[in-house]
Order: sequence, then structure tokens, then C-alpha cells
Amino acid sequence: MSSNTFDLHEVEFRRIQAILAKMQKELRAELVLLISRSGQPIVVSGTAERIDCTALSSLAAANLAATDGLANIVGEREFSVLIHQGRQRSLFISDLLKRFSLVLVFDAAASSGLVRYKCKRTTLLLEDVIRDFQRRIEKTGSVTDTPQFSDEELEELLGP
Amino acid sequence: MTFINYVAREINCKIVYYGPGLGGKTTNLQYIYQITSSENKGKMISLATETERTLFFDFLPIDLGQIRGFRTRFHLYTVPGQVFYDSSRKLILKGVDGVVFVADSQEERMDANLESVANLAQNLKEQGFDLGKIPYVLQLNKRDLPNVMPIEELTQQLLVKGEPVIEAVAPQGIGVLTTLKAVARQILVELRKSA
Repeated sequence: MSSNTFDLHEVEFRRIQAILAKMQKELRAELVLLISRSGQPIVVSGTAERIDCTALSSLAAANLAATDGLANIVGEREFSVLIHQGRQRSLFISDLLKRFSLVLVFDAAASSGLVRYKCKRTTLLLEDVIRDFQRRIEKTGSVTDTPQFSDEELEELLGP
Repeated sequence: MTFINYVAREINCKIVYYGPGLGGKTTNLQYIYQITSSENKGKMISLATETERTLFFDFLPIDLGQIRGFRTRFHLYTVPGQVFYDSSRKLILKGVDGVVFVADSQEERMDANLESVANLAQNLKEQGFDLGKIPYVLQLNKRDLPNVMPIEELTQQLLVKGEPVIEAVAPQGIGVLTTLKAVARQILVELRKSA
């Protein structure tokens, strides 16, 4: 995992998925996502069929980035948590290690205090997983096995 | 930030279309959206003003096919070209993997092109990237208009580092896919090198 790539392997995926699923169940949330700050969905837990997770991730990352910009303008380092209150559904977005973000779609009737508390706890657990992964890379060298495609395969995909 | 998902076997990359206002960045994405089959594209999102000028960004996720059993998914973004939206442009460059510069070939837009290239270099630097190193393609758009500058002159003034230069007429799709594939190729070659 260099600064400009993030590799998700089975072990980390299972751990992250278990953490997200637990929070989803506890809060009876519709959807919980771990996304990259560049707007890509990484792990999703919940009934995603009715929500476009790719679009949601892109807009959530943009929203968080824009809010960081607003924070800087008013002299704050960051606004690390965003809550959008809707009539039926609400949205919670929070920063995670400046490279990721936790996004939650939940029932608007749920207590936002409880959501904040559970999300904070979940964020700490996710940070542990990511730090463990980084430590493992530092100890063993890269765990990356980036697909070693040939020039011919690249040509087949994109043309000459 | 290239995201490789070994569980879903996907490579996810972010490409940003940059350039002066009204240069054709959104038109590039609209053409790609029109010609891509529904199973290989997601929803196109445009955050625009009431006069259809880009306010924050356009976003289009597309799938270019498989390589070594990995789906290659590209998230395409445009920036707002108007000078006063500089804060937004900086945010959109966060985690970028490759940039397409959409230049307006008309003579009277040369200053805007030059200003935008300089702005790109500066904003990339602020995000920790070097324009000299990042995958980059120069698209010379609007080649069908009568008042365009010669290719040689445009290239001489806008070329940054020997990047691919592609002539385009975005509303007709000329050069649009060639541009996308040229930047995608550079991103995948960089990814292969990083292994």
C-alpha cells in the first residue's frame, strides 16, 4: 500500500465487513460504507440495491472535501463529522485517517447521538484494521501482487 | 488513489478532465456516457448551475473491460473551468491517478489555456503530485471551428513533457475515446511499475 494505492485483500475485507455489519445491525442502519477520500466505495454493508453506492461514495467524498475547505476558510482545521437530516433517511459522514471515510444511511427517527457514538467506536476499530495492515506491510515488505499484465494484454484492453 | 480490490477483482482509478471554461470537458464525459453500454457505466452526475455551467464537478463511472481477470473501473471527473472556482478544482484533484487537459484550440482562448495549465501544475503540487510525473494527456479540442490555431503552435505552447497529443471534436466524439484510452494506458502502466 503505497501512498497512492490501496490494496484490499481477503483478510482485511472480512475484518472490515464484520465491523460494518455489526454497526449496521446495532443501529438498524440501511447502509454502511467505507469509502476512500477520492470517492471510491471500498466495503459496503447493507441493502444496497436501492441506492447507487458508486454515486453516493463520490458525492460523500466531495461533500467531506468541500466541508474541509469551508473549515479552512473559517480557521478550523477540519469539520470531521457531517450529518444530513432528512425526513425519512439521514446521512452520516465522518473522516477516517484522512484517507478514508465512513458513510452511514440510517432512519431519520434514530437518535443522532447514538449514531455518533457508535460511529466513533467503529471508526477506532477500522483504524486498527488499517494500521495492522500497514504494520504488516512494513514488517514483510509489500504485500502487493499487482496484476502483471503484458503489453499485449494492455493492447487487447485499450487497442494499439 | 488507485484502489485494487483483490476480493472483487477490480482495479479502480480516478481520472480528472481539466482545462479552461467552455473548453469541452463536460462534453467529453457526455459523449462517453452516450456511447457506453448500460452494463459498463454508472449514473452520470452533473453538479451544474442553472445555465448548465459546471459548478462543482461532473462524475461518470465506467468499466473499460478486464485485464488478467481484473475489471478496470475508471471514475471520470471534470473540474469547473471558470477561474473563480479554484477551491473546487483543488478538491477534485484529491487522489487523482491521471489527468486529461482539454485545451480549446481557438486562438482567442490561448491565454485561458496557458493560465489553466499553470493552475493545474500548482494545484497538483498542493495535492502532493508532480505534473511532470503523473499520467497526462493533452487533448486539442474544437478542431472543427474556423479560428483554430495550428496544431504545431498549440503543441509548442501547451506541451508539458512529451505527453500524447490528441485532436478532438468532442460533440462528434472525434478523439474522445482515444484520449480516454491514452490516459488509462498510462495509469495501468504506472500501476504495473509500482508492483
